[in-house]
Amino acid sequence: MVAKLEKVTRKLKNGFEIQVIQMPNFNQIYGLVMVNFGSVNTLLEDGEQLPAGIAHFIEHKLFAKPGYDVSEKFAEYGANTNAYTSYTKTAYLFQTIENPYDNLRILLDLVSNPYFTKKNVNSERGIIDQEIQMYLDMPEWVLEQKILSQLYPNDPISADIAGTSESLKEINNENLLSTYYRYYQPKNMNLVLVGNVDIDKVEEIVNEFDLEATDPMPNKIMRPFEPISDGGQNTMEISQSRSSFGIRVDLDKTSKSLVELQFEINMVMETLVGESSDYYEELTNSGIIDDSFSYNVVAENNYCFVIISGTTPKPDEFREFMSSHLTTEILKNALTATKFQQIKLDAIGSYVFAQNSPESIANQVAELYFYDTDYLKLIDIIDGITINDLNEVAELVLNPDNYTYYHLLSEKK
Amino acid sequence: MRKEIAKNVVLNIIPMQKFRTIKVQIDFLRPLLKDENAQRRLLANVLSNSTKKYPTFKKLNDREMELYGTEINVYTRGLINYNDLAISAEFADPQFLIGGDNLIKENLELLSEIILNLNIENNLFEKTAFDTEKSNLISNLLSIDDNQDLVSSLALNRLIYKNNVNKQLPIFGTVEQVENITNQGLLDYYKKVISEDTVVINVVGDVDEQEIINIFEDGKLAEFFQKERPTLDLKFDNFDELKETPAIQKEHKKLNQSRIAEAFTTEKISEDISFLAPQIMNLILGGDDQSQLFQEVREKNSLAYSVSSSYQPISRLVTIHAGLDANSLNKTVELISDQIDYIKNGNVSADQIEHAKKVMSTRRLIGSDSIQHYINRSIWDIIYPQSLLDDEKFRVELEKVDVAQVAEVASSMKVIAQYQLIGD
Repeated sequence: MVAKLEKVTRKLKNGFEIQVIQMPNFNQIYGLVMVNFGSVNTLLEDGEQLPAGIAHFIEHKLFAKPGYDVSEKFAEYGANTNAYTSYTKTAYLFQTIENPYDNLRILLDLVSNPYFTKKNVNSERGIIDQEIQMYLDMPEWVLEQKILSQLYPNDPISADIAGTSESLKEINNENLLSTYYRYYQPKNMNLVLVGNVDIDKVEEIVNEFDLEATDPMPNKIMRPFEPISDGGQNTMEISQSRSSFGIRVDLDKTSKSLVELQFEINMVMETLVGESSDYYEELTNSGIIDDSFSYNVVAENNYCFVIISGTTPKPDEFREFMSSHLTTEILKNALTATKFQQIKLDAIGSYVFAQNSPESIANQVAELYFYDTDYLKLIDIIDGITINDLNEVAELVLNPDNYTYYHLLSEKK
Repeated sequence: MRKEIAKNVVLNIIPMQKFRTIKVQIDFLRPLLKDENAQRRLLANVLSNSTKKYPTFKKLNDREMELYGTEINVYTRGLINYNDLAISAEFADPQFLIGGDNLIKENLELLSEIILNLNIENNLFEKTAFDTEKSNLISNLLSIDDNQDLVSSLALNRLIYKNNVNKQLPIFGTVEQVENITNQGLLDYYKKVISEDTVVINVVGDVDEQEIINIFEDGKLAEFFQKERPTLDLKFDNFDELKETPAIQKEHKKLNQSRIAEAFTTEKISEDISFLAPQIMNLILGGDDQSQLFQEVREKNSLAYSVSSSYQPISRLVTIHAGLDANSLNKTVELISDQIDYIKNGNVSADQIEHAKKVMSTRRLIGSDSIQHYINRSIWDIIYPQSLLDDEKFRVELEKVDVAQVAEVASSMKVIAQYQLIGD
């Protein structure tokens, strides 16, 4: 039988946390540093606004070091490397078969030694601009930005993670460096290694690096959100129209942990519009949606929202259906004991499935660290959820005041 | 363990204590014919929509959830000159669950339901299931036009297979083909598939071999899978005509980013050259972030965010894809050509060769951390075993590759197709 997952944790004096999970029969070692800093963190304490896309720009440019690029070093030691920026996090990773400790040193060098010059920042601007242009041709991506700008008007989350061609011009080596020092602090990051490595050796290597903070830890800036917009639409040169229905959940109305909240909202949405719901079938059979239809629940930092989207030939009917069917009364009828049991079994299965992937484990462990949640205890969270919890959370979520929409209409029709 | 249940029906069981799931995949193989592609894809979708016992999409999904979220997947893909229709069930290993003791048996029963116990009414597929899946597929096909990477890749495919009518159309068919499929026609096609196709069954995970054999020899599936099927005939492509006159196409569209897609043939120069030399050449050309294309086109000249190459060992084709600004198209085409010349002229360093070898070994080992790896390998082992190398042969062939071999492969490259999608 495959051994159960075991996790070993070390917290260093500077606040940096290391977590190691053994995967005995796997060939690879997956290493990841995650920073609690993403595209939304553009507002400073003094009211100054950083240019959109600065977190993503740092992610690109940290790979540059004096006289070398970190990806070359990883390549030398046999590792693949990558990095990504989300709304609230930035992550740097490697995947290797050999030399895990040398690759760990390279990963730590990557995140701890910025080298931003006028020249290398200028050359990166062109590459990122191409990335932005690529996303602008993707209707799903455009629609996500549009629905977020309805849910959170004028908030940084409604801007493209990579910024805009204009905001890129405001990014320079100076604001990159000051932003880096503000957020890349040991208490604001964590390291996860999945695979056959020794935690003592890992700790010894981490201690070789000067991860001391130079700046004070940034305060959590809670800017009040503007009211949700009424919704909107635009046209695009696409073959099929697409619609999004958004639900914003303001977190000051609940004391639940974000992780618990995310599981519960997912279960509510699965009951109402998941593939095993009556309404999914009704929507499909009436030609309002096709199988691109999906929903996504996000609960990160001070944001919590649901986006339900899909290709639709009937955008108005899509919106009307969501508005009239996402109600607590309908949920109460749909959420039978049998349905609740099915949804729970499905969630337990998903948890087991994810353990086939070192990548999935590492990313979840690193992300959950920022929410004081142990990955290995997720099963207890799922197990502890009751029907009552779902009905309670539904009162918070399924409120028409939380709803908005956006249609991206095909110019061809 | 491999067992031939009947002629051209193979059961392959790979017991291993590595994964936390068990996967059962049944692949149906028959010659790839342009007129069948759409039917085959629609059939896969209709089968996975509902069954006699679970007669609606919801009821089938309810059952999947009850089985701790079994994932039923269907797809069709081209394998050399075959069309592969695959239906799989992946589910949590019961050893990690409380109360999942019968999960293997129950999942195999579910798979058997999907393949054999069809949702039939009045001698046709149940109308809602058929109509819904038909309209879903049409909608998906229309959406392709909004995915520019796919548009560019399908256009290149059309050019590469200009002289092969069966391969120039997408493997999932066209809107027009799907529109013309009738319920009766699809059911008739199903009967052909189930009785004539070569069948490859793979079971991977912590399973008892005898238990699985018993299920496939005595269960509902046995009746069908104990019938022998005709032997398939492998046919390889020939690009000689395109080597003389490459297929070139330019299209304009209202887009922010333009695309270039190019295809090149490579030749098997001599028996002395390593089997892996073309893969190593490809890695150096555009296979990762240390490659010539990535470094020269993206990093040094900031011309493209995405630029890469890939190599298909069976057809010996190298393809290159780049996404870039319309103003940079000509410069990028030149730079691509310069990188091929760089390799051709023997300028590749020993470090580049070593790096590419390391990447190949690493990818092979990381690939084997996925349950699907074992299924894919088993299918290739049945349809074209020459394409697989065991670990020792892989090591020897990799060792053999040097700068001269890589240069020879690059020298043999001939452009056969080029597609440009120009954003206006």
